[in-house]
Amino acid sequence: MSTIAIVRAAPSVLQPPRSLWTHLRPLAMIVGSMTIFFAVWQVLSSFVFNPHLIPPPTKVFATAVPMIQSGEIFKHIGISLVRVIIGFIAGTVLAILFGVVMGRLKAVNDLLDPIIELLRYLSPTAMIPIAVIWFGIGENSKYFLIFWGTFFFVLINTIAGVMRTPVARYRAAQCLGASELQIFMQVVIPSAVPYIVTGMRVAMASAFMSIIPAEILAADSGLGYLLQTSAMLVQTERIFVALATISLIGFITDRIFRWAVERTLHRYMAFITAT
Amino acid sequence: MLLVDAVSKVYGQAPAAYHALDDISLEVKRGEFLCLLGPSGCGKTTLLNILAGFESVSSGTASLNGKRITGPGSDRVMFFQDAGSALFPWLSVEENVRFGLKLRGLPRAEADRTVSHYLAMVGLDEHRTKFPAQLSGGMRQRLQIARALAIEPEILLMDEPFAALDALTRRRMHTFLHDIWTKTGKTIVFVTHDIGESILLADRIAIMSVGPRSRFRDIIEVGLPRPREPAMPRFGELYGKIEGLLTNEVDALQ
Ligand SMILES: Nc1ncnc2c1ncn2[C@@H]1O[C@H](COP(=O)(O)OP(=O)(O)OP(=O)(O)O)[C@@H](O)[C@H]1O
Ligand SMILES: [Mg+2]
Repeated sequence: MSTIAIVRAAPSVLQPPRSLWTHLRPLAMIVGSMTIFFAVWQVLSSFVFNPHLIPPPTKVFATAVPMIQSGEIFKHIGISLVRVIIGFIAGTVLAILFGVVMGRLKAVNDLLDPIIELLRYLSPTAMIPIAVIWFGIGENSKYFLIFWGTFFFVLINTIAGVMRTPVARYRAAQCLGASELQIFMQVVIPSAVPYIVTGMRVAMASAFMSIIPAEILAADSGLGYLLQTSAMLVQTERIFVALATISLIGFITDRIFRWAVERTLHRYMAFITAT
Repeated sequence: MLLVDAVSKVYGQAPAAYHALDDISLEVKRGEFLCLLGPSGCGKTTLLNILAGFESVSSGTASLNGKRITGPGSDRVMFFQDAGSALFPWLSVEENVRFGLKLRGLPRAEADRTVSHYLAMVGLDEHRTKFPAQLSGGMRQRLQIARALAIEPEILLMDEPFAALDALTRRRMHTFLHDIWTKTGKTIVFVTHDIGESILLADRIAIMSVGPRSRFRDIIEVGLPRPREPAMPRFGELYGKIEGLLTNEVDALQ
């Protein structure tokens, strides 16, 4: 049946409406699912739950407007974002450097791997107390914690990517006359790019999850701090504004990251599936 | 001339050692098309890897034009069955072919000419800006061939390059490879499972015995006129003979 339907739809006259819907479908789905989400939330918190514990979206929105107008929310966003970006970049750069060396030199890997295997179980949250003792409650402790939450994800993926360069590709480059260094720079590292990017995306999510506890426990600004002060004054509306902001910022950052990868590293991201 | 003289290959250490090849000798003349045929696991890939310089010999010598083979060199290029992993997926068709030329510092204009020449030869000229992921299996194998030919090696080592292709494409690739071989006069060592493929392509077919301690069971001169067709009168006869040899081999195992 469905085959027949496709065949009938094939004439070009019928194409435009179909392709328009194909384009609009994802957007329609998002709008639809958001509408349902907010409607259910509104109904539940107005008639079922205590609106002081779960404020309805209209109230959250009403709380958000003055925070946006006064620029208060943007100040917190900006501070948290800068912390995430600096820690993330530092963690990523160092992890890639360590990762390519460890992936290539077995001796270095054997030496460092046990240490990394132990350290990576210490979540950034577990490191907050010692970070505060080492770096105080200023910016450096936040950079350190984000760095910590980023480094291991990127490192482990980079090592895996470097080690998993297909043997055939390596040997093909040898036959074409490439030296070890040329193979490393022009074959092994490009082959590892998809792994590195995957590690970076996971690390990005980790960085966003690490900044909040760090700011709750030890900061005087940022989205985590906003959560913390709102909780102390039992301002649930402001807590919800902060929570919504965090998910929105995380989502947008990931989209921007994916867009940037698509723009700059597109050609390295192709995995060829075996035929 | 490619010379394999009393080569043995043992993998691993004493208790777990595996004696793959035992005292193998072979001579491949310049411009010859030689097929290595044998049951799975007999050591065809091992022998090819030794010729390519990827594996060392345990005893004996492998040499090319009197020079001992100790590592990979651009006078011998290996082809892999899995073109997807052998190609550079981040480089376009054109850039894949250019890769080896860049390494040897060929001037830009000359490299351009070489790239165009070999892309035209393998029929990928109008796909030069595509990426390997956008090519079909047969096109990827042709790209692998163009990339290898561009650096003008003396010898092509091919490990079941067409085994993953469908029957029709494989047949087309046979004709294609035959043409390339006639045009360029390369020496080709071609590994296959497929008896028909070996009769279509080879000057001589070296049939290997089952491992461990694999040797050459027989080396057969094909001697059919070229280009060849499965419908040729002596084709079936030869097929039967080789099949008999291989079956004896596999039966001997039981
Ligand atoms: N690196 C290795 N270490 C140990 N044993 C190996 C290694 N490579 C191959 N062998 C063994 O050597 C024998 C020959 O392997 P090889 O890959 O050369 O066979 P083949 O003839 O190419 O088989 P196929 O037709 O299935 O590709 C096999 O028994 C295999 O298990
Ligand atoms: Mg094999």
